[in-house]
Amino acid sequence: MNLKYILMRVIGAVPLIIGTSIVLFGVIHLAPGGPTDVYADNPSVTKEALEQIRTAYGLDRPIWAQYALWFGSMLRGDWGYSIRTGRPVFQDVVERLGPTFELGGLSLAISLSLALPLGVIGAARQNSPRDHALTLLSFSGISIPVFWLALLLQLLFSIVLGWLPSAGYQSIGDGSFGDRLAHIAMPVTVLSLATIASWSRYVRAGMLDVLHQEYIRTAYAKGQTEWGVLVHHALRNALLPAVTIIALDFASVISGAVITETVFAWPGIGRLFIESMDGRDYPVLMGLMLMGSMALILANLMADLVYAAIDPRIRYD
Amino acid sequence: MNWKPSRRQVLGSGLLAAFGAAAPGSLLSKAAFAQVRGGTLTVGLPYDVDTLNVYTTGFLGDVEAAVVEGLLAPNENAKYVPVLATEVPTVQNGGIELLDGGSKMRIKYKLRPNVKWHDGKPFTSADVKFTWEAVSDPKFIAESKDGTADVASIETPDELTAIVNYKSVSPTFASTLFTFGILPKHALEGKDLNKDPYNDKPLGTGPFVVTEFRHGQHVVVERNPNYWRKDEKGQALPYIERIIFKIIPDSNTLMTQLKSGEVAFAYRVPYSQAKQLETVGSLELLKGPLLSWQHLDFNFRGPKSLQDLTVRKAIAHAINRDTIVRALGGFPVSIKSVVVPIFDFHDPNTPSYDLDPAKANKLLDDAGYAKGADGVRVKDGERLSYRIVCLAGLVDDEITEQVLIAQLKAIGIEVKPDNKAGVAFREARYKGNYDLLYARWITSADPVYSVFFGTKGANNGQGYSNPRLDEVMRRMESTLDPEQRRQSAKEMQAILAADLPTIPLTTNVGVIAKTRKLKNFIPNPTNMTNFVDTSRWYLET
Repeated sequence: MNLKYILMRVIGAVPLIIGTSIVLFGVIHLAPGGPTDVYADNPSVTKEALEQIRTAYGLDRPIWAQYALWFGSMLRGDWGYSIRTGRPVFQDVVERLGPTFELGGLSLAISLSLALPLGVIGAARQNSPRDHALTLLSFSGISIPVFWLALLLQLLFSIVLGWLPSAGYQSIGDGSFGDRLAHIAMPVTVLSLATIASWSRYVRAGMLDVLHQEYIRTAYAKGQTEWGVLVHHALRNALLPAVTIIALDFASVISGAVITETVFAWPGIGRLFIESMDGRDYPVLMGLMLMGSMALILANLMADLVYAAIDPRIRYD
Repeated sequence: MNWKPSRRQVLGSGLLAAFGAAAPGSLLSKAAFAQVRGGTLTVGLPYDVDTLNVYTTGFLGDVEAAVVEGLLAPNENAKYVPVLATEVPTVQNGGIELLDGGSKMRIKYKLRPNVKWHDGKPFTSADVKFTWEAVSDPKFIAESKDGTADVASIETPDELTAIVNYKSVSPTFASTLFTFGILPKHALEGKDLNKDPYNDKPLGTGPFVVTEFRHGQHVVVERNPNYWRKDEKGQALPYIERIIFKIIPDSNTLMTQLKSGEVAFAYRVPYSQAKQLETVGSLELLKGPLLSWQHLDFNFRGPKSLQDLTVRKAIAHAINRDTIVRALGGFPVSIKSVVVPIFDFHDPNTPSYDLDPAKANKLLDDAGYAKGADGVRVKDGERLSYRIVCLAGLVDDEITEQVLIAQLKAIGIEVKPDNKAGVAFREARYKGNYDLLYARWITSADPVYSVFFGTKGANNGQGYSNPRLDEVMRRMESTLDPEQRRQSAKEMQAILAADLPTIPLTTNVGVIAKTRKLKNFIPNPTNMTNFVDTSRWYLET
């Protein structure tokens, strides 16, 4: 585990990112339709006008030339302009990052602090009523459709009880901490539930694997308390499989949560992505997808580093 | 598959009763109440606002309608009334002059004096000319440049006169360029309109000023204290202090916000969700016509039997429109003409085909379409089995399609669905890749029907061609005389009814949910949106 290794990994990621960007560029241009589709149902937009728009966006050039142009400006730090809004892509994206990180970050923190203990309890008391209850909760959390749960929460907390705003990022003209907290409460609940459910299953499974091993028996024999055995001896090894999953979920925060954001009118990256997809807003889509893939590559690197930190037997030379 | 109306795809609605109540030729109705000043109205918009420039947005210019004004605007009866001009130019009032033996025209707009932009600068004829130049500029990427190409030049003899010279006679001049909105020359000259901050905070002359636009969240507009329009008592308009447009893309969430009172106005309530709002005491629901109609089209390059008028007539006799309306919750309205009833050139006496399956069966029997063993009719080796296309994912259309399939089965015609989404649907529609097509058309307040039914019509995917109809539509679309236009329109409707290239079935209604406190609101069915007359609205306390 050393700096050289990390450096090598980061350098190795460069061709991966370039390759990814080529594939992404190809895929979104292969998708049927294009930015001018919005006008296609419109009897009064002439063919000439459509051609003019295509030329203005450079859509009439061969695809490799379009890619070269886009890649060149990306290298100079120019993300281009959104076809939908006419604003710099960078500005469109940065505006949505704040709310995305707030929602995603809070959800990850809550998930992590709940999933680990729940997984450990489930494994330590395998097949107890408590374990069964947790299992039932996990499966519900994984299976309940997000939009349905969101509707139920809105119905209960906004219409019946009137405690929480049903959607939005903040009240207009407010935006105090309390106001923002009221707005984020329901989306973060919906978003965390599925994560907690899936992570706690991984932790539980990992723990069960470890708990039946001989060194755990040895630890008990040495007179360790149960708490000590579970946390110091078992959990570190049990976490290894869960780390990968958790790292990937961390990476997905940057892509936003499409359904949750749509249902709660949350102004995050997920909705920007959907709107850009609908409008075939290529520059924004490319910016978002590249950010997403970079986050994924970074998360994998982080997972490797965490592995090494958890398990001293793992060496990267 | 989300159906999003763009600006030219007119959407709106009106209370049928309200149409009679409005003073003719005026955008304003008489107020019967004591108006109250102040208050905030929160509106829920079902789409993510992209830009606030009327020329570039891919949606209806709802917010823009309260901020930016044009020379004219269509009122609640889809009739043009003056806004920044002092009158609607006509041949009678000398505003329109025909030149070169009637092949060209010149329109003189007299502009309203003492109108100020939101920044206090005066509005003049130079702004009118600049708007045409800016929108025509090939570098400017616009959703619509309607009408720019018809103009040859614009003269501005003085600050309050704009003379527009047209290359030809264009009766639909009012539904284009100078209605959408005038751009401020002093603020935009020499700027790149594709990227200018104007697109986020447009500078207008309207009753409201944009004070905040947060992408993906909301747009806030506040009262313009120097608005030019006054009420009958000479008091300054608008009455309302502030309108908040909240962006709520999910329709379920929009309904929730209406019920909880977080939103007090929404104009595109889905049929299937309108019921749940009827029990909310603070809201009232308005229903009204839209400038759109649903139709069943025949492909004339398709099966030979569809070129037989007898078959088309039999199909017309077999369709029960009431069943369709009931299946869609009772919201749409049956129609028999492609010209929707709100237009004054709609002919209520258009010939139609009564619901009469027995007659339909007899027509087919007499014409030699004999039923085979499987109940499907056959003639000259061709089974009457057709492929019907509608937009996949549009629930209302898919329901109707099922109704049509059942009704045609009853007269021995087999219909199989072949629904397509998105681009594939459009390809099928425009290139005629179907036997039968069930779809909708949406028009502006000044529709041109030759695009749909003309031999060379851009939207004619049916391969339908009728020289007599072409001639009638050409007359209709090149005259400035309303009486002549009505006469041609009547002929057009009669020909379409007799020759049946298409069967108009229903016209849609828009469902608006609004707080009972909002007064003086009159729905507007045109593409100038329901927000074209916000200065008169007020909120009871």
